Amino acid sequence: MPDAEGVVAPEPSASPRARRRAIPWRRLLRATHRDLGYLAVGLTLTYAVSGIAVNHVADWDPSFESFEHTYQLPTPLPADDAAIAQQALAAAGVATPPEDVYRASDTRLDIQVSEEHAVHVQTDTGVVVSSGRTGRPILRGINWLHLNRGKEAWTAFSDGFAVMLILLALSGMFMIKGRKGLVGRGAVLVTVGLLVPIGYLWLSGGP
Amino acid sequence: MGMGRHDDDGSHDLSGLSLGGHAGAERMRALGRRDLLKKAAAGTAIAVLGGWYLLSDDERTRRARAEIRKDGRPRLPPGQHLIEKLRPMGGEAGDPSPRAFRLKVHGLVDKPLELDFRELLALPQIDTPCDVHCVTKWSVLDARLKGVPIRHLAELAGVQKGARHVILEAAHGYTANVLLEEALAPASRVAHELDGLPLPQTHGGPVRAVIPDLYFWKSPKWLTGIRFSATDAPGYWERRGYNNHADPWKEERYA
Repeated sequence: MPDAEGVVAPEPSASPRARRRAIPWRRLLRATHRDLGYLAVGLTLTYAVSGIAVNHVADWDPSFESFEHTYQLPTPLPADDAAIAQQALAAAGVATPPEDVYRASDTRLDIQVSEEHAVHVQTDTGVVVSSGRTGRPILRGINWLHLNRGKEAWTAFSDGFAVMLILLALSGMFMIKGRKGLVGRGAVLVTVGLLVPIGYLWLSGGP
Repeated sequence: MGMGRHDDDGSHDLSGLSLGGHAGAERMRALGRRDLLKKAAAGTAIAVLGGWYLLSDDERTRRARAEIRKDGRPRLPPGQHLIEKLRPMGGEAGDPSPRAFRLKVHGLVDKPLELDFRELLALPQIDTPCDVHCVTKWSVLDARLKGVPIRHLAELAGVQKGARHVILEAAHGYTANVLLEEALAPASRVAHELDGLPLPQTHGGPVRAVIPDLYFWKSPKWLTGIRFSATDAPGYWERRGYNNHADPWKEERYA
């Protein structure tokens, strides 16, 4: 009789020699599935969470929060760019020294505070615009991994993960025997799972 | 008669009813079925109304669909809806420093150019509003993206007769390919201002390309080069399953 997991005990009538020769492949599959499952937790969460985040990139920036603030300096401004920059940074509440101050045109001064933060001064009107972005904790990192910004090395890791998922799927299908295995409940659920992409392709008209 | 228990999720547990006998069991089944039907009807109504609300066009979108451009096409391409402001849409940012900025105009040209930011700002500018259409289905009408017409850069560099394609090059090796006539259309530009302010880094600052009548991935952020070519060279997204041409009115989203 199958137990709760659908596992069938060896037939008592089987000869000791036959039992010795039989490879317990379902047990091996279960062990493989279990251990690959443990190994896959980290990468699955990484890809799943960032997958949801990146899927909705049209609605939000999944990796950064943007900011833009406008200030007004009293005009006329000083003639010296360094003095203008000092006033603009003070107005924007920036205490750190800038990386660069660049006179882009007669009426535009660009101050690079950091790679992610710039302050622009409209020198004829005294308008100061402080804009930039800050990385979202955790999400920025996992999105970076998901989008494979690390390139070659990460390609190897994600290929390995893809192979692991294939093994998980295959071992999952065959690791249980009986009513809850591939001839029973498993067949129904595998069919439903296959029908989702096939149905979507059919209903959407495909590529 | 005992009272049914009202659970946290609003469902009725009828196990406490003590009608007794066959009639009681029948009544309990009928009550359970009725309750289920009511909830199913309410759920369906909410789903339908919610879906209708999400999928229906707002007034501005409806008006933009009805508006006809000079070329006879509707102002809003099919499948698009309007939003108020450009969305950044991510991407691997390039160097935001205007001082470090260089734009190469090269390939099939007589005089290859390399412009710094100051030189770019000193060239003739256009700030005619343009419509932006993102492949993720949002559009912005009358975006104010000021910049230098690409056709002016092409004239300066002297594009040779054999050129048929333009490869827009950006930070970290990103490229997007467009047809020569689309790159040289009057509204196509190299933009450095958005809404009257310096183009923010999140939108590709200091400089991005703008090719208004194609999906917006054809307008690379953090632009570094414009290469004129006799042959086509599918770019970053085009090699990843997106359409090589990207006409929003033909919904050329994917290959």
